[in-house]
Amino acid sequence: MSDERQRPSSHETARGSPPTGRQPDMTDQQQSVASVIHSWHMPLARPNILKALLSIQEHVGYVPPESIPQIAEALGVTESQIAGVLTYYPDLHTHQRGGHLIRLCLGEACIANRGMRLLAELTDELRIGFGGTTIDGRFTLERVYCLGNCGVGPTVMVDDVIYGRVTGAALRTLLQRCQGGSQEPAS
Amino acid sequence: MATRVYLSNDTSARAAGADQLANAWSLDSEIQITRTSSRGALFLEPLVERDGTNGRLLWPLAKPDDLPRIKAGLGGIEISKVPFLARQQRAVFAHFGMAEPLSLANYQATNGWRGIERAAGLSPDGIIAEMKVSELRGRGGAAFPVWEKWDIARRTHAECKYVVANADEGDAGTYCDRMIMEGEPFRLIAGMLICAKAIGADRGYIYCRWEYPAAAATMQAAIDACQRGGLLTVDGKKFQLEVFRGAGSYVCGEETALLSSLEGGRGMVKVRPPYPAVAGLYGKPTIVSNVLTFATVTEIFSRGAAWHASLGTARSKGTVALQLSGRIKQPGLVEIPFGASLGEVIEQFGGGMADGAQFKAVQVGGPLGSLFPASQLHIKLCFAEFHEAGAVLGHGGIVVFDHETDMVELARHYMTFTADESCGKCAPCRIGSMRGRELLERIHNGQGTAADLALLADLGDTMKATSLCAHGARGPYPVLTAIEHFGDEFQKKLQARSGHI
Repeated sequence: MSDERQRPSSHETARGSPPTGRQPDMTDQQQSVASVIHSWHMPLARPNILKALLSIQEHVGYVPPESIPQIAEALGVTESQIAGVLTYYPDLHTHQRGGHLIRLCLGEACIANRGMRLLAELTDELRIGFGGTTIDGRFTLERVYCLGNCGVGPTVMVDDVIYGRVTGAALRTLLQRCQGGSQEPAS
Repeated sequence: MATRVYLSNDTSARAAGADQLANAWSLDSEIQITRTSSRGALFLEPLVERDGTNGRLLWPLAKPDDLPRIKAGLGGIEISKVPFLARQQRAVFAHFGMAEPLSLANYQATNGWRGIERAAGLSPDGIIAEMKVSELRGRGGAAFPVWEKWDIARRTHAECKYVVANADEGDAGTYCDRMIMEGEPFRLIAGMLICAKAIGADRGYIYCRWEYPAAAATMQAAIDACQRGGLLTVDGKKFQLEVFRGAGSYVCGEETALLSSLEGGRGMVKVRPPYPAVAGLYGKPTIVSNVLTFATVTEIFSRGAAWHASLGTARSKGTVALQLSGRIKQPGLVEIPFGASLGEVIEQFGGGMADGAQFKAVQVGGPLGSLFPASQLHIKLCFAEFHEAGAVLGHGGIVVFDHETDMVELARHYMTFTADESCGKCAPCRIGSMRGRELLERIHNGQGTAADLALLADLGDTMKATSLCAHGARGPYPVLTAIEHFGDEFQKKLQARSGHI
């Protein structure tokens, strides 16, 4: 389609370095953001802010708020538009989260199956609430409104893996495995 | 020769332990494991199957050390002997549990492309005429006649048009869209292609919530497979199809918010009209339909519109995909014609209450649906009866709560959800849900007064009457129906305070 202009490759400078060049006042995060921006092939007439922010988050782990001007410039939109999208979506994050993401499902099916008891278990064990990260940076606890695993709830998602029929004991085992750095799935 | 063993690769099967079985048995050369779509009999997961003389043999709730029994063929249950499955009248989900989701050959073997082949021989008008005969209504929740929407988009002139599958299945207690995308992704693609032909679209999107990573990955792989096979075409022209990942906003399931999000912006609701069928994505005519709706379109063109219109009740044609969960014995997917009663479904398919649990309430239609007490279980599952009762079938989620459920706590949860997920566009929803949450927190903490309860009812009425979209307008329903049917629990919380004074 006519509006699908690709980012001109002549924009590139030295191989591997972002088009703007390394600036001494840039943080490491801003450098990482710059290299993600460098890899974009975004149609310029129709920049997709959400897609852009998700791609930064995928590579950097979060979207550093100090990068907002940089992203706005690259997309040709205002900083407030970027900030607007960034603050709207629950799954866009503005700070580094813990090494392991523990997500507790708060859908009604999980609540019916005593999912809230798992919250007590988690706060007891980790000493954090929703949105919190443990002091050692190992865990972040988040809530999620339904993972579509309602038939085998209550449900907990640990990093990318969804676990069903989770009991307090199974949850403690899961956390211990994370502590030990083991990749073994919990039973 | 190695024995073929079937194991579902669906998210819920894996969450229940299917991967552990696959890992434990992976080195056994006497068996060959085929990962399939899900039967939807989730209470049986992890479920292992083998081919038998009368259809599949089932080993439910399998454990790694069950393998010798399975190899020897001992103790398997014939599939026809599982009432949960045998009593259903499956159409869209007829082949679920049978085949590998990403095998084009398997899909072809079940005549999966028959619908699109038949539609290819029809004109756009002819397709819409079939849709009209079928009387299919949108399955996402709004239940709008599908043919009417398509006809508006077809008649609107534009240089490009879009087809969007709404895969933002955010209603808690629903999972049939996820099952379709993970289990029979080609079925969704076929339905979208039929729609594209009818309205004259050359581009489509599947807006998939992030909470469904496996569904998004399967859809992407299915699109790639279709592309390689030269199947992504409409009237010989290329149809571009893309999976777009959401970022956790419930309101993005509302079509105008979804389109704002698809354009990369905040997922804010817009005032309608204009409807997306006239001016949707980037201002162009756009059909936004639920995954199950497109999946049903495929079936309608395969079996004929008259088949679809012959099922169900006077105003709700076809089958309904009910997703049972909560404190029942047999949670899972049930596909039957519209018209069965809520109580029948809970008893006959749900198998009644889980051990030790007594029925208290059932919620139908997700967080925007209503709560029903035992005295209302005779209500028939169809659009008309639910409409009369002031309730919605929504996306077919049925969550059963037991005697231990604290209804005040549950009401507080609902209002917290409404407040958390409000897009903020209109004041009744943005401010109303926040004040509602505060009132319920006060009541829940034993600090509420009778005036608070009256104010909550008044607030609910205002939200119902004045919110811009269903999120604010239907958000108060579970709270108000909880107060209506379980008022004494709310009263007790108030009394606790007066007693103290």
